[in-house]
Amino acid sequence: MTPALSVSHLSKVYRRGTVAVDDLSMTIAPGDFFGFLGPNGAGKSTTIHCVTGIATPTSGTIEVFGIDAVKDYREARRLIGLSPQEFNVDPFATARQIVDWTGGYFGMRAAQRKRRTDELMERFDLVEHQKKQFRELSGGLRRRVILARALVHEPKLLILDEPTAGVDVELRRDLWRYLQELNRDGTTILLTSHYLEEVERLCRTIAIINRGRIVRNGPKAEFLTGEGLEFAYLTATGAEPDHIAGVA
Amino acid sequence: MTIPMIVNWIGLWTIIRREMTRILRVPIQVFVGPWVSALLFIFIFGYVVGPRIAMIGGHRYLEFVLPGILMMNVINAAFLQSTSQIYFQRFQRYIEETLVAPLSYAEMIAGSLTVVILRSVATALGILVIAAVFGVASIRNIWEFLFWVIAVSTIFGLLGIIVGLWAKNFEQLTVLNVFFITPLSFVGGVFNTVSMLPGWLRWLAYGNPFFYFINGLRHAMIGFSEGSEVFGAAVTLTLCAILAVTVWRLFSIGYGLRE
Repeated sequence: MTPALSVSHLSKVYRRGTVAVDDLSMTIAPGDFFGFLGPNGAGKSTTIHCVTGIATPTSGTIEVFGIDAVKDYREARRLIGLSPQEFNVDPFATARQIVDWTGGYFGMRAAQRKRRTDELMERFDLVEHQKKQFRELSGGLRRRVILARALVHEPKLLILDEPTAGVDVELRRDLWRYLQELNRDGTTILLTSHYLEEVERLCRTIAIINRGRIVRNGPKAEFLTGEGLEFAYLTATGAEPDHIAGVA
Repeated sequence: MTIPMIVNWIGLWTIIRREMTRILRVPIQVFVGPWVSALLFIFIFGYVVGPRIAMIGGHRYLEFVLPGILMMNVINAAFLQSTSQIYFQRFQRYIEETLVAPLSYAEMIAGSLTVVILRSVATALGILVIAAVFGVASIRNIWEFLFWVIAVSTIFGLLGIIVGLWAKNFEQLTVLNVFFITPLSFVGGVFNTVSMLPGWLRWLAYGNPFFYFINGLRHAMIGFSEGSEVFGAAVTLTLCAILAVTVWRLFSIGYGLRE
């Protein structure tokens, strides 16, 4: 079966010589809910940026459902929805415009965009805020807009880079339910998060990245045996023995 | 859900819609400012300075100077539109919205340039309306007029994209305008004929591309010319082609766009 995402020997070296991703390979099966963990600066966001076109890979190949994400980037990008860690929007645009314009970039016709935007405004409780400028929204509402934007074109591969950072418990749980629904309906999801509880609850496969390399990768069950995910994470990322001891 | 893509027309149209929305949020800055500035130029040259200056090539001084004023505003509108458009997208990082979308470089560039041209044409039409109120708006050849407005907008739109990609801060955005565009347009024959210049300075006018832009538009509007419009058009189209290739190349390597 063609993987939803196949990354092979990916490296990314920035102009100043910083190696952000170092010979990274990983595969995500279609329909999987994939947790991508690692400390800050480990290379999670850079990997995601290479997959989605925000960064240019230095070497290696990336395929999205068998389509080369560099050579056939337009076809590959049609299949991906990205909710980035940082709010990369025009702060003066309204919530509705942000979602509608993204639908437009992905080639959706006006009627399709209207239907889908209405649906997403409803789903994320944004109806009463849809005409407000992004800068006027609270952190939680902003995060909802970003998620709605990622979903507008109904991507087959949804990439969520810390989607619940800074959101309240209620929205986080609502979002978890929604992501589980999407995943049940066939959307492959790649999730990065610093909340291990979130990853443990949602994901079926987990990969841990440290200093640009995958240091552990496998089904969630493998991480939960023994001392649990937090212990596995701290061990894999080379945390201080005191920290590991505190968990074990 | 989405339509098959050879050219992503809807994506292209969305870029245009988004930018039009952005500039219509600041109409005073984008349109009213240049129109008021042009109005003041027309008033001063039409009613204060103009009557004291002799006819030039059978034209009143205001008629002579109007194409230059119009061209200066077209150049400014084009350059400011494209620099601000690309720089703000980079600064606020919403350029990433288009980078992750199935848009080709050509579509991104074409979308930006379309808005540049629309803004420049709107600026030019507004100035023409003001000039008409003063009884000096004449266009001898509308196609020639449109050629100069659109071609020169394209040049400065492309140049603005390059500066917008290069600039690391707001200060750098203004460098080209302060040290290159404004001085060259002032010595390119906005306010004077080449024959008014001292002999040793005339070569500077003929070596200045702004002279050909202003001369071409002046020919389209009042039929007065001090140089070859055909040569000027060739210079203009060559600059368009060189800058278009440069911008396409910068987009394709991700200069200023991708990490």
